[in-house]
Amino acid sequence: MAKGRELKGRIKSVENTRKITRTMEMVATSKLKRATDRVMAARPYATAIAETIANLYSPELAERFPLLRQPATIRRAAVLVLTSNRGLAGAFNANLIKEARATIAKLEREGSEVELHVVGRKGVGFFRYVGRAVATTRTDLGDRPSATDASSLVDGLMDGFIRGQLDAVYVISSRFQSVLSTPPASERILPVAAPEVKGARRDYLLFPSAEELLTQLLPAYVRNAVYRALVENEAGFQAAQRNAMKNATDNAGEILTNLRRTYNRARQAQITQEIAEIVGGAAALE
Amino acid sequence: MLNVSVVSPERTLFEGQAESVVAPAFDGEVGILSHHAPMLTLLGSGRVRVRSAGGEQQFTVAGGFLEVADDRVRVVTERAETV
Repeated sequence: MAKGRELKGRIKSVENTRKITRTMEMVATSKLKRATDRVMAARPYATAIAETIANLYSPELAERFPLLRQPATIRRAAVLVLTSNRGLAGAFNANLIKEARATIAKLEREGSEVELHVVGRKGVGFFRYVGRAVATTRTDLGDRPSATDASSLVDGLMDGFIRGQLDAVYVISSRFQSVLSTPPASERILPVAAPEVKGARRDYLLFPSAEELLTQLLPAYVRNAVYRALVENEAGFQAAQRNAMKNATDNAGEILTNLRRTYNRARQAQITQEIAEIVGGAAALE
Repeated sequence: MLNVSVVSPERTLFEGQAESVVAPAFDGEVGILSHHAPMLTLLGSGRVRVRSAGGEQQFTVAGGFLEVADDRVRVVTERAETV
């Protein structure tokens, strides 16, 4: 029964694979919970700072802030691509890279020079493979990115923008809309697009002055945009990994059903054949 | 009564009712009681003290701003720790 043994081996192997994918699914589920909590926890700060800037912003003030400078032509732009360090997450990284290439291509068509900053081993690996020059790479961010990580990523870019070496900065990351929807998106974080005022403006007593407050708040706003991108990207990654592993586990189950059916059929066929042989043998003796 | 919240980019450190808030503004401490006029001020570094009937809670902050409007106080800072 050579075929039977071979089938048994394959059943065992698929069972083992399913154990691994199921475990990874459960790990991703618990990490996803933590990551979404962090996305939610980041919201009050983001709302507070956006509301306050919207309240202080006025077009007359805007001209005095380098971060609000709207260059007429974009000669040089920076693109910050966030990817994950690990794989087994379906098309997660492929989607981000596709979005990044589309943004780069669009900027280059418009005649700007693009410098690329890549976060995550998957993105670094890809751009090295296609042989594209990359300005900086980071692969040391864990699954709990902090506000400090965000500022270390963006402070240099903000400096470049203020000094006029860069005319625009884009961030490519996945938006966390829900567990099943984490589309890649490209967001321009510099120059800062002032948030809209919701409802009526309030008259605040301002200390020391609107100008001084904006000087402090605009960089914080930009840093927070990057922090938000980092936490949403992480949550998106965990969601993608969970879905990929869930599909893998489901598929393994399906394959197992088929393999077991084939195995049992082969076993029964053999038994039938053996009985036929015995009956045949006994008949020959009579 | 004041509705107070202390938020950093990563989390909300405090949210609840309080009688007074003392915060380190850029040029010295400010104290806030209910019916304060709407105000926005930059913060320096130091301790924020939130006093309520149940006692006092302290947070160290560095930078950011404080907003008061309609008896709602928001301390919004990039770096904050509960003491």
